[in-house]
Amino acid sequence: MVDLAELKTMIEAALPGASVEVSDEDGGGQHLRAEVKAPQFEGKSRIDQHRMVKAAVKERFDDGQIHALSVRTEIPD
Amino acid sequence: MPADPELKSKVEELIGANPILLFMKGTPEMPRCGFSMRVVQVLDQMDVEYGAIDVLPALQPLREVTTEISDWQSFPQLYVNGGLVGGADIVEEMYESGELAEALGVEQPSAPAPSGATSSNGDVQQSPPLQIE
Repeated sequence: MVDLAELKTMIEAALPGASVEVSDEDGGGQHLRAEVKAPQFEGKSRIDQHRMVKAAVKERFDDGQIHALSVRTEIPD
Repeated sequence: MPADPELKSKVEELIGANPILLFMKGTPEMPRCGFSMRVVQVLDQMDVEYGAIDVLPALQPLREVTTEISDWQSFPQLYVNGGLVGGADIVEEMYESGELAEALGVEQPSAPAPSGATSSNGDVQQSPPLQIE
């Protein structure tokens, strides 16, 4: 079973100061969603912002615990 | 695993030759995955001509290629002017914000964001399907 709190912690560790919400949209672990607001996104293209989030949880993709992660990124005001 | 160099150069060639190129599961007429369908719907709304490649016949080899080219493994992938713009999430976000219209060099359509399975555009502009051997 995917540990949503762990995913959140991994993203926060990779992007200090970020506010992160990870949710499981259907409760089955198949449609995970991460909403990340991070100052590190400033000046980065969206694809790079998403790469940063996915890189933070790469380990969980690699070990097969997660298959798909929907990402929504935002730059804080 | 390293990508097949021949396939990689073929993909690079296609990306270079098509200003708007979508790697997707299935075809624009018959998407085989919800994420691919969402990108097709957005592109239809934008009323642009684009090339589409069905990745399903060579999914793993193409994954290896795009990992090397763009550091991105999942499909769909939309390339504009030779660079990866993103997958379904990014394309939809950029569509809603107007950034996609800017990237594609077209006017932002006044229609609302696409929803549902049917395309509102009966006369879809479509390039012939591209084939990867």
